[in-house]
Amino acid sequence: MAAIKIEGLTKRFDDVVAVDDLDLEIKEGEIFGFLGPNGAGKSTTIDILLDFIRPTEGTVTVLGHDAQSEGETVRRRIGVLPDAYHVYDRLTGRQHLEFVLEMKEVEQDPMALLERVRIADAADRKAGGYSKGMRQRLVLAMALVGDPDLLVLDEPSTGLDPNGAREMREIIREENARGTTVFFSSHVMEQVEAVCDRVAIIDRGQLVAVDTIDGLRNATETGETLYIYVTDLSDEIVEQVSEIDGVGNVSVHDGRLRVTVDGVSKFAVLHAIDADVVSIQDFSVVESSLEDLFVRYTTDEQEVEA
Amino acid sequence: MTWFTVAKKDFRDAVQSRALWALVTVFVLFSVISAYAYVEVPEMFGAPAGATFGGLIFFLVGVTGLFVPLAAIVVCYKSLAGERELGSIKLLLSLPTTRLNVYVGKVVGRAAVLAFGLGVGLSIGLGVGSVLLGAIDVLSMLIFVLVTMAFAAIYAGIMVGLSATTGSTSRATTLALGFFVIFELFWDVVPMGILYVVEGFTLPAELPDWIYLVTQIPPSAAYFSAILALLPDLADAANADPAQAGADVGTSSVAADPFYLSPEVGILILGLWLIIPFAVGYYRFNKSDM
Repeated sequence: MAAIKIEGLTKRFDDVVAVDDLDLEIKEGEIFGFLGPNGAGKSTTIDILLDFIRPTEGTVTVLGHDAQSEGETVRRRIGVLPDAYHVYDRLTGRQHLEFVLEMKEVEQDPMALLERVRIADAADRKAGGYSKGMRQRLVLAMALVGDPDLLVLDEPSTGLDPNGAREMREIIREENARGTTVFFSSHVMEQVEAVCDRVAIIDRGQLVAVDTIDGLRNATETGETLYIYVTDLSDEIVEQVSEIDGVGNVSVHDGRLRVTVDGVSKFAVLHAIDADVVSIQDFSVVESSLEDLFVRYTTDEQEVEA
Repeated sequence: MTWFTVAKKDFRDAVQSRALWALVTVFVLFSVISAYAYVEVPEMFGAPAGATFGGLIFFLVGVTGLFVPLAAIVVCYKSLAGERELGSIKLLLSLPTTRLNVYVGKVVGRAAVLAFGLGVGLSIGLGVGSVLLGAIDVLSMLIFVLVTMAFAAIYAGIMVGLSATTGSTSRATTLALGFFVIFELFWDVVPMGILYVVEGFTLPAELPDWIYLVTQIPPSAAYFSAILALLPDLADAANADPAQAGADVGTSSVAADPFYLSPEVGILILGLWLIIPFAVGYYRFNKSDM
């Protein structure tokens, strides 16, 4: 059975389409990364999954239950770290956990949970005085209450320093090792790359890729990418460069030519551009990475428009 | 039962609010001072025959009739709209509960906060008053405090209901203040306006009976009538007149009149104020995107 099954999901806010006919299936036991730039529709999808908002069309099934009609059953079995939440300023960290324990009808030691996210020393301080990172840890602890079958984490590393982000990943791995499915969103590829089994990339409400990390890596150009500063940039130049032998993709990126090279020497390509098309001022070489892929998937259209 | 957990948390959260304690302090001072004033110079407050315990209660009804709506606004206007605007509602709704439970929990929690503050304030005020008077009527006092706490709870329900209809605190503020202005400040004008229109844009010499019913619509007017209905002896003793609560038409000659002219109608109207805002608020809350 799928942990999450999204079918034909569409959400319109007035005349803005936030999610556009999305289909996605997350298997039980996997760590699934939901990747996209800010405003791509990640949080809207997650909010529908949690029944914070209602879909315009389509259905979401979580652990075999309809997210809209059986929300309470769904939420009994999941742990959630939502996006753009706010803690109860006047309640302490411990009181937050006691509240969640009572709501989930679970017996657990709140201090053990706070220790796990490393804010036990602040247990009896009011959460209003917590830093952003501490609040994030507190809400993560709340999500872990009752050993959920599915963790839904919306931008979990928001507000965390690199150390905190690493600890977050460790907790995600530990939970996954226990059998928990993890579904988390991010706009930063490297966080996803570090822990995920599979990744979906979403942009402007539409799915642009779903694959394993390795699959994505293979789909990425195997070669290298050149970023070239030239004296003149125009559509014509882009076209001429793309006709050179061994050149894959050509686009304009931050005022530079972005050229992927496959199978021929970089020097030959640079030389051909400099001699036949436009003179080169400077260049740099970047190994193709998933980050690169992500940028390309989610900015291609804008480049074409430009 | 998650509504109870939500209510408990909400109460715990709200009792730590400085605004609430400022409010309770103001009310305690207000009720003690007015009890003192009433006992010392009863002539000024429409009791030339001298202060009585019943008179004290009816004097305090006027005070609470104004205080409860204001306190309910302060305690409740942000209850749901504020949580939605900030995003703390997301932590609540991620838990195994339903929007109905969250909504009921909010109403109960805020009602408890308001009733608690009011109960404390009134008990102190009445306590001081009875010491000054050297007289006490425990049963009347109990009925008065309970009806007032119920009134406070109903007002909390109205304000949470209004707060549930929107995700913006500025709109919630407008709704709460608008409600107060229409129903508590300017309602006197409404029956006359209706009458004026119904009678073909003239005012008749004699006021029809149903006007009384219209004057009873505001929650505080209904509250005053409910007190009259439940404490008739004291009402007679204190010469209480609904005019004090904003009702312009006399009601003392009730014997042969239809039910809707008796003060009992206040209890019915309070019941409607409990049900209707709750239903409207829940309907809107359940339908919205958080």
